[in-house]
Amino acid sequence: MAGRGLNLNNFAESFTENASRLGARIQESFSEHTRDLGRGPSSGYFDATEDRIKNIRKHLDSNSDREKLDGLKTLIALISRGRNVSEFFPYVVKNVASQNLEIRKLVYIYLLRYAESEPDLALLSINTFQKDLTDYNPLIRSMALRVLSGINVPMIGNIVVMSVKKCAADTSPYVRKAAAFAVIKCYQMDASHLPSLIPILESLLKDKSPLSIGAVADAFQEVCPTRFDLLHKHYRRLCRMLVDVDAWGQVSLIELLARYARSMLSRPGLVQKEGEQSDFVDPDLQLLLSCCEPLFMSRNPAVVLAAARIFFYLGPDSQRSKIVSPLLRLLHQSAGIERVVLSYLITVIRNSPEAFIPYYSSFLVKTIDSPNVKRDKLRILVMLLSVDNFQALLREFVVYAEDTDHEFVSEAVKAIGRCARVIPDSAPNCLSALMEFIKHGSDAAISSSVLVLKTLVQNHMQNGQSAASTASNSPLRIVGELAARIGEVKHPAARACIIWLVGQYASVPDDQPNQGISGIAMWAPDVLRRVAKTFSSEEPVVKLQLCTLATKLLLLAPDHQTLILLARYVFNLARYDMDYDVRDRARMLGMLLHGVSQEFRLTNGSMDGAEEVVDRGGVVLRREQVKLVLFEGKLQAPEEKISTGGESDILGSLEAVTGRPMSLGSSRRLPDWPDEGTDSSLRDAEEEYPAAPVTSIASRTVGFGSSSKFSSPASRTPVGGPSPQGSFYNNNKTSDANTPKSTWKDLDKFYEDGDEESEEEEEEESEEDEEEETAETKVVEEKDDSDAESDDDDEGPGSESE
Amino acid sequence: MVIDGIIILEASGRPIVQTNFRSKGPAYPLLHIDAFNNALSETQYANLDPVLSVAAHHGPSACCHMECGGLRFLCPVSGDVDPLFAFSFLQTLVEVLHDYVNDISPTSLRDHFDVVYQLLEEMLDNGHPLTTERNTLRDIVLPPSLWSKVLAVAGAPDFSKTSANPFASPLPWRKLGVKYANNEIYFDINESMTAIVNKNGTVLSSQVWGEIDTNCHLSGMPDLLLTFRDTKSLQDCSFHPCVRLQKWSKDKMLSFVPPDGSFVLMEFRYSPVVSGVVSAPRPIPLPFTLTPSITLSENGGVIDLTLTSRLSARVIERIVVELVLGRGVTGASCTVSSGATWGFDPKARRLRWEIQKAPQGASYSLRGTFSATEKPSPARAFQISFDISQNTFSGLKVDQLRVQNEGYKPYKGVRGKSIGDVEWRW
Repeated sequence: MAGRGLNLNNFAESFTENASRLGARIQESFSEHTRDLGRGPSSGYFDATEDRIKNIRKHLDSNSDREKLDGLKTLIALISRGRNVSEFFPYVVKNVASQNLEIRKLVYIYLLRYAESEPDLALLSINTFQKDLTDYNPLIRSMALRVLSGINVPMIGNIVVMSVKKCAADTSPYVRKAAAFAVIKCYQMDASHLPSLIPILESLLKDKSPLSIGAVADAFQEVCPTRFDLLHKHYRRLCRMLVDVDAWGQVSLIELLARYARSMLSRPGLVQKEGEQSDFVDPDLQLLLSCCEPLFMSRNPAVVLAAARIFFYLGPDSQRSKIVSPLLRLLHQSAGIERVVLSYLITVIRNSPEAFIPYYSSFLVKTIDSPNVKRDKLRILVMLLSVDNFQALLREFVVYAEDTDHEFVSEAVKAIGRCARVIPDSAPNCLSALMEFIKHGSDAAISSSVLVLKTLVQNHMQNGQSAASTASNSPLRIVGELAARIGEVKHPAARACIIWLVGQYASVPDDQPNQGISGIAMWAPDVLRRVAKTFSSEEPVVKLQLCTLATKLLLLAPDHQTLILLARYVFNLARYDMDYDVRDRARMLGMLLHGVSQEFRLTNGSMDGAEEVVDRGGVVLRREQVKLVLFEGKLQAPEEKISTGGESDILGSLEAVTGRPMSLGSSRRLPDWPDEGTDSSLRDAEEEYPAAPVTSIASRTVGFGSSSKFSSPASRTPVGGPSPQGSFYNNNKTSDANTPKSTWKDLDKFYEDGDEESEEEEEEESEEDEEEETAETKVVEEKDDSDAESDDDDEGPGSESE
Repeated sequence: MVIDGIIILEASGRPIVQTNFRSKGPAYPLLHIDAFNNALSETQYANLDPVLSVAAHHGPSACCHMECGGLRFLCPVSGDVDPLFAFSFLQTLVEVLHDYVNDISPTSLRDHFDVVYQLLEEMLDNGHPLTTERNTLRDIVLPPSLWSKVLAVAGAPDFSKTSANPFASPLPWRKLGVKYANNEIYFDINESMTAIVNKNGTVLSSQVWGEIDTNCHLSGMPDLLLTFRDTKSLQDCSFHPCVRLQKWSKDKMLSFVPPDGSFVLMEFRYSPVVSGVVSAPRPIPLPFTLTPSITLSENGGVIDLTLTSRLSARVIERIVVELVLGRGVTGASCTVSSGATWGFDPKARRLRWEIQKAPQGASYSLRGTFSATEKPSPARAFQISFDISQNTFSGLKVDQLRVQNEGYKPYKGVRGKSIGDVEWRW
């Protein structure tokens, strides 16, 4: 009894002990979890400590979903922090078949990242995915396909292609979309799959759901960008679908259709109709244009730009102005978008500034704009200068020249100079604005103004326009003004510029009244004197110009004692300068002066101990000759380019935005227009014209026919119907659409007449034709199936928006 | 078109999320993070080029970036991709995240980084945007909610799992089987004005852009027809994909099956019609005038501002006038009229004058001096922002909302609000 009682006692004891332990544990775990609740579920994972990392393996092996999730989240957090966690691969892969969707998703994220490094282990998961491809849930099917195709293990290439093929015929458009993207991945993994991928793409192209067609367009671009023959039948349907496709799909589809149109349709142009010029636009091109026009109303900027690209690169000139307000609308969306759209607008406006002139106020610069935006807006404003708006714009430029950003200030001053050149009427206003800067502006404004004035003065003098300008703004007055301010101008290039101007335009005709030294404008010697004083502290570029100035002045007044002394001073300093260019220049100019001023030569020479003074041999130039050397033959000042963007910038390319060439170069460049568009019956849907291969051949011969028949093979204006061949075959088609033999007969006849060139082509043609024929039969075979399946999707948004 | 991936950085430059760089190798995202942080170390974010060139060993690439909630969203692109594509994807991502975590901040994203990863996995397939409609995403990625947290704590299996029937809706932007006890729909007409005014007070350019934010709680598959009282002054309109464009082009009516929840229904530019002619943008008058006078001296300057409301019926709220005083400015001391406050931010050297409420016709002034160690060169313009609640510049009115397809009559609410940003040169 006692023993029993003891036992019981023991039992009770152990029970209470266990119970209390259990209670403590529950409490513990509960408090831990509530702590989780308080601080949010995942921050703990993100700051995982080493302890936690050690536990990952245990968690992944555990039976509880919660712990597995815990382990996986810690792993993902580590990936986020840039740590390599591939060591856990085997433990993760075990969970790939978990019933918990969240676990599976996290496993997928991990798998996709590390499958490449562990191909053998990755193979373990393949079965699960293949099974998932038959799941009733389209989400699981598409996820399985995405992961399967994303595991970059070439060994399973064939399995993946099979799975893609299966999914391409799925009932859910979401799965078909995943299939289209998987086609790209298969191709990137191993390009040798191409032959089996193209039929998949062909069947996907027939998709009537706007959900998946964008992905198909992407796949087409990536896998077989030049197989336009596959698109003929679908072109018109794709155009009409455009408006219902999602934004990303619209961008891809527009790009594909644009490339198709540029390769297959005839270039829009002008035709003479009843004495009046009118636009000629291929009806199929017009279809694309009118299907793109509503997309200008999209909220997605990439779609708006894609549509603008269509109108800019494919539309006739008369329809180009339609892109103006959609593009301007994008400017106010966000800083990033504004920056990008501005650089595109530069390309557009360079081509057709007129359309944008009324909207110049959209480009006024704000002080809070970023430097790039300021620069681009200014470039655009300069391009939009016109006789009507130059006064408003000039006022703007003057404001910009007071900005705190020095580079922008100098751009603004250049813009004023540009204004003076482009619109002659504005020259007086521009000059007074520039002179105002020199009097009161900031350092940056002063130096740029000098540079701009130099160009203006030079052009003025050379074009002999000085008569047109008013007295206060005559070029010589400007030079005089500049000369007076040499002390205030700090920028070396600007100083050099003034000194050059002074030297170049210092001569005064003898018959004019002049208070200074005869033959020299009164301000010139003073510049020489003032800069000579600071010679040693000047930059080389200023020293060089000062030597030239000294020479020129001496040339104009060879006997003036003070000038000789000044020149001698300058030349002596220059001769022993640190900079060898300055030394060389001084020596050269000194030699030139040999025949000009006896006195200068003597004094100059006497200082030069090392060289012989009088007879150095060679040719000594007379004063008139030296004048010719120094003063004449100046080139017209080069037109300053404000816009630096390349002329070939492509709308919608990264290249146009960053200004740097991208590795792939011009992948966004559209192909050139064909000499002659292909026959439009090519694009008739197959239901209407079963004998498709024949028509394609016929249209090609039309092309040849016109090129051999007409003298200009590259005729850019497509003709509506006057081509005899064209009409001939068209007639043929309508009457004998189902008798291809007769068409063949005509072809043979034609080739007999044709030159040798076309015979080579003929071989290619027939080969292609065979391909097309086989493709065609398949298409016909599969037609029934595709029709049946697409019925499900007819309730889609396509029908909604009718 | 393909983007290379998404990186989300904290303000300190540390990545929170980086994903989808499978084809590029592990160094690629690091290069972009480095390039971005280096560029940022040289200048302020506002002055940073939104498209940075980055040299990677695959060849040149670029990093498009934007800021939201103290986070930087980076989107590297390589090859000749339109950066607008990257920017619109970033914009979409931010909208989706906003839907999932309410306010986007470093803390909220760190708390829910696993959700962000799951979202990005669904939104991007190898760089191609996949599923970006919020209504579809909600079916396949569970938003973090208090309820699921509680369930997780209780250790119970989570029954609020993703919809059993994803991808079932024929409209990607609307879920199937939405049910509300109260059917209601709210339209917020938000308009924002941007303007530039030159020295003598002439308005050089002013534009008003409007946006109709909609919050829709309607059951089933309602087909709505929304008409406005006057649509002539609405220009450059753009719409949510749900809107039938043809109907708008023909009848100027909005016909649509709305997404569930909040979305932007349309955007427009308000352009007043002058005798039936719609021409180039015409300046729209500002609701106030500012008379600035600044005198600069060697060691500072005197500033005298007067701001007068030009509205006759409405109150302008939260008028903030700011001026960067420029290098060398050490301090300022001002007196302002009652109802206003002023401040000087010594770090940004910015003078700030704030008026809480300016009733019709009221006039306010600020007088003061500022001191500097050198001759100051203040920014050439004042930046002024303001709000006018319960009012729009356009005066756009909803005329009628008809519901087809469903039997109920929803409660509808319409609200207007205006904000403005003006650059006023002096």
